[in-house]
This record gives sequence, structure tokens and C-alpha cells, in this order.
Amino acid sequence: MGRQGETIEPVERMDGHELAETSPHHPMDRLLRRDRLPHIWCPGCGLGTALNCFLGAVIQSKLDVDQIAIVSGIGCSGRVAGYVAMDSFHTTHGRAIPFATGLKLANPKLKVVVFSGDGDLIAIGGNHFIHAARRNMDLTVICVNNFIYGMTGGQLAPTTPTEARTSTSPYGNRDHPFNLAYLAAASGAAYVARWTTLHVRRLQRAIGEALQKPGFSFVEVISPCPTLYGRWNKQKTGLEQMAFYKEHSVIQHGADPRQADIGLTGQIVVGKFVDVEKPSYLELQRR
Amino acid sequence: MREFMDGAEAITRGALAAGCNFFAGYPITPATPILLRMLRELPKIGGVGIQGEDEIASIGMCIGAAMTGAKAMTATSGPGLSLYSENIGLGIMGEVPLVIVDVMRLGPATGGATTVAQGDVQFLRWGTSGGFPVIALCPTNAAECYALTQRAFNFAERFRTPVFIATDKEMISAQQSVETSTFENIPIADRARAPAEGEFVPYRVKRLADTPLFSPIGGAHLVRFTTSMHGERGILTKKPSNVNKTSRHLYEKIEAHRAEFELVAFDAPERAPTVVVSYGITARSMIEAARDARAAGKKVSTLTVHSLWPVPARALRDALRGATRVVVPELNFGQYRLEIERIALALDPRPQVIGVNRVDGELITPGEIEEQIL
Repeated sequence: MGRQGETIEPVERMDGHELAETSPHHPMDRLLRRDRLPHIWCPGCGLGTALNCFLGAVIQSKLDVDQIAIVSGIGCSGRVAGYVAMDSFHTTHGRAIPFATGLKLANPKLKVVVFSGDGDLIAIGGNHFIHAARRNMDLTVICVNNFIYGMTGGQLAPTTPTEARTSTSPYGNRDHPFNLAYLAAASGAAYVARWTTLHVRRLQRAIGEALQKPGFSFVEVISPCPTLYGRWNKQKTGLEQMAFYKEHSVIQHGADPRQADIGLTGQIVVGKFVDVEKPSYLELQRR
Repeated sequence: MREFMDGAEAITRGALAAGCNFFAGYPITPATPILLRMLRELPKIGGVGIQGEDEIASIGMCIGAAMTGAKAMTATSGPGLSLYSENIGLGIMGEVPLVIVDVMRLGPATGGATTVAQGDVQFLRWGTSGGFPVIALCPTNAAECYALTQRAFNFAERFRTPVFIATDKEMISAQQSVETSTFENIPIADRARAPAEGEFVPYRVKRLADTPLFSPIGGAHLVRFTTSMHGERGILTKKPSNVNKTSRHLYEKIEAHRAEFELVAFDAPERAPTVVVSYGITARSMIEAARDARAAGKKVSTLTVHSLWPVPARALRDALRGATRVVVPELNFGQYRLEIERIALALDPRPQVIGVNRVDGELITPGEIEEQIL
């Protein structure tokens, strides 16, 4: 039964890279598929940090790893499901939440985590996001928000700040972006937090809290995409983007998420915005 | 016992008899009666029923549930089936057992919500990208709704793929007086599971035509299921040899077992020059037309197709051999007639294939079919 003793044979890699040399003593080893590393993410990307915080939270939570299922959609963030040594389901674009809902309802013992990006979860999958939050469905949703579509080539996302440049807003974005924390809170999420990949300890703690929270818990991870978003919006490296987070982040626990818009410039309000007790879908189903 | 029952109830009862324990659907006329019944019945047996926020979510929930080991079903009509399309593909690519009831109404788009049609026949076959084979069963009455729903679950389990039940508005909503004691109970089949011990490789098969062993999400093994083109470990691949193997496997696992899907009823009291081929609600008019024609001294055979996809080619060839005239009544412009023509082309003598078609929302009457029986 145990997975620890399982040998994972190296598999063919589509990009032809050599397998990574990883220390046999790395603390995250047992939670990662070492045969899948190195990952595909660009230098300076925040996804590795987000994944590391998630795995740290899993270890700290003492959850049974065999009972965690990771569901992801499409995009850079969707690759997380392929790197973790947990049961995983890589689904169609935008639909991670419905699959996760089916998993949870059919096997309520599972801890079901959706790990995906802002384009996948909020644009094409936006309807599922608001309805799962409305139902207070027992899921943890981690949304890595890099304000852009990474894998498909830097297109406009529903989170892209007004006037920001993307490959599909070459003259600047004319849309107003979603404020994800506000969207989640307004839709009925029981737990809403936002951190950047600069705030690693706080982010890990927030994910840990989200994993323990009955009902719909949502953690937004503001994350650099220097290759696309940063390059076109005067933050050329991951380091510059992290410096921007350092200068512009304002920690305000309990802040009204309505006041937590993120613009092209200006402050990024981070913290825990919502942590309320309300009956979850499964609690109501049991009544 | 004689009962008054519509097709929705017969399908629901068949699903429960087959072990269905998960249903998700979105309200849509004329499939809603199935949603209502499943949401009422499933909690009584410890199952789960949920109304999704749309069709995409509903089929997604079913697929998620199926990958924990549940037997899942959903029901919709043309507009909803359009929205299912991508995730039907996931069901094929990810090898997900799933039963999808399509209650056909007049299309395209919103079409006629309360108007009968059989316009989805080729859409069921080709309704998701890639052109991989699917299984579709088609009942003609309540008893067959009950039996074929069980068969649909068994096929879904055995071949780990979406299986359609092609019905229509009249079949689902018209009450019929039926003798339920004659309802056929099919032995329940369950997907083959991987042993708890030993290595598990989610998409490994010995032969291309095999179905991989299943281990649920949350079960004994580390599992990875995916919607993307993958190798046997469920990891994305572009390597042509791996891609070819997965593609061929998804094709062969259905096509190599075609004989199992040949579900037809051939009624040929004597060798007849005319064969009528039909399915679903229209087959009932065909049976009446044949009865009337025979009473009038005409010679006619009928073939009711219960398995639309894959096409029951052998049974069709056997039925059509020697005939000079094949009549194909259906509530569309002649979608299944295309398949019959394909079969007829290879026969010597080659029979003439004639369609009887309506697309006005009315049923084809026995008289309209009888006119074509010479």
C-alpha cells in the first residue's frame, strides 16, 4: 500500500532534458515525482515557490498524503498536478473545479485541492469558480495569479490590470480586471487569503489554514511571470517583480476585499480577508 | 405487474439496477424528468445526485466521481450535448466509464425544446474532436430503456469509455403501459481493478485492444489521470510511437470488440425483397407498418438497430443480403441511411436504399412507411 517504498522509474521526457540530479535528502522528495523534474517553469516564475509552500503546508498539516487529490486545469499552473506524488487529475481547460467536485462528492474522505491559474480558473472556468464558492463546496482552491496566460503566449487574462500590455492587448488592456479575493468572498467562500510569492511563510500558513477549513477555501498567490507579463510591463526579471511586491504589498488582515483591487501600479493588499463559519455543502448534505 | 411508465422512469430504474450511484445534470427539456428522478432516488441508496451550474460542470462532476470508482450517469438534450462535447473527449482520452443519455429534440441550437427528432445520430458519433469510436445504444420502448441502460453501464465499465443512450422526447415523456415483470435484468459488470499490491501503471495495457486496469483516486495506488495525449503513466507525450500506441489503443479497444456491440432485432418470418431498418421511436412505426403490410399480403422484414454505434455491420449485412429494397425511416435528413448505404454498396445484388424522413417535429406514421413497402 505504501507509496514511499514505490520505485518510480525514469520515463521518457517530451523535451529531451536529462533527469534532474536531486538530493536524496530534500525534505519535499516524498511529495514530488522526482522522475518528472526539472520542471518546465521559466527562471523567475513563482510557480515553484507556490508549489513549495503548498507542499510545506501539506507536511505541516499532517494530512494523509494518500487521501489528497490534486486537480488542475490547463496552463503552466496545471503542470503542478504532474509533479506531485499524490493522486492527480489533469483535466480540460477551465474545468478543474467540476471534476474536483465530483471527486469530493463521490469520496468525501478525500482532501481535494484544485491548483490552477487565473486564466483557467477565472476566465474559461469562472462560472464553476463562483458556483463552487456559492455552494461552499468542500474544496481548497489555490489560484496562482500571474495576471496573464503564460503557456499559450502571454494573452490577456481576466486579472490583467487595466492598461497592461499583453500579446492580445498590444495597445494596453481596456478591460477592468477581476479582483479575485473580492470575487471569491462575494460568491460565498468560507476562507479567502491573498499572498505574493514573496511572503513564503505567510503563504504556507494560509494554505495550511485553507486545507483545514471545511467548505470552500481560496488562496490567491500573486506570482511573477517575467517572461511575459513582466517583460511587457516594465518588470523585466523575476527579481524586479519580487522587488515590486516588496515595495507595494500592504498586509491588512480582515481588509474589505472590495478595497483590494490590484492595478498596474499601486499597492497590493495581502492578508487573510475572510475566515467565517458557515455550513459547507457536505455538512448540509449530511443533515 | 402492469405499470404506467415513461422512458425517463425506465432509464432511471435501469440505471439503479446497474449500480449507478452518481448523477449530475442540468435542467433541459426533454431530459429533465431523468434529472428529477435521479436526484430523488439516489440519496435513498446512499448515492449522490447534484444539479450542476451548467452542462459542462455536470459532465465534469460525473467524470470526477467516476474516477473515484462511482458509476456515473448524466442526461441532456442537443444543446447540452453540444456543451458536453469537450468532456466527452476527456472521457475517451482519460478512459472514464460514464453513461450519457441524449434525449433528442429538434435542432439545431435551441431548436424545438418540446419537439421530437432523431437529429443527433451522427452528432453522437462525431460530436467530439479526434474522431475516436464511441458506443451508442438506442431503445425503442420502456422495457428496452430499462435493459439497454444496464447494458450501457456494463459497456462503460468494461471498456472505460462514455456510452450514449440515444432516446428522444417521445420515448422519455410518453407514458406507456408496460409489463414490468418481463423487464430484463442484466448481470452487472464492474471495471477490472488493479490488485492492491504491486506496481500500478494507470494506462498500461498488454494488447492494444485491452482496457487498462483501474485504481481509484484515493485508493491503494498513486494514480494520475489526464485529458491530454499520454503514455502509459498518464504523463504528457509527443513521442510519435507513444502517441500512436495510445491512439490505436483507444480505437482498437472498441473496434476490436465490435461483435459485442451488435444489438439488433431482426424480424424476418420469410425471405422478403424489402427490409425496413429503423431505430428508437421510429422503429415502433416500422413494426406497425410491417404488421399492416403483411396483413395486406406483402413480404417485408424489419431490422431494429439497438446499437447505433459502432454500426452493427455484420447483422446489417446478413439482414440486407438478397433484398432489393431497403427502407430507412428516421426523424432527420437521413443520417443513419448513410451507414446503411455503406453496407448496401458492398452487397451483390446491391439493394436500393430509400429514406423516409420527417424534420417537422411529427412522428413518422406507420402508413408513411407502409407506402414504401412494395
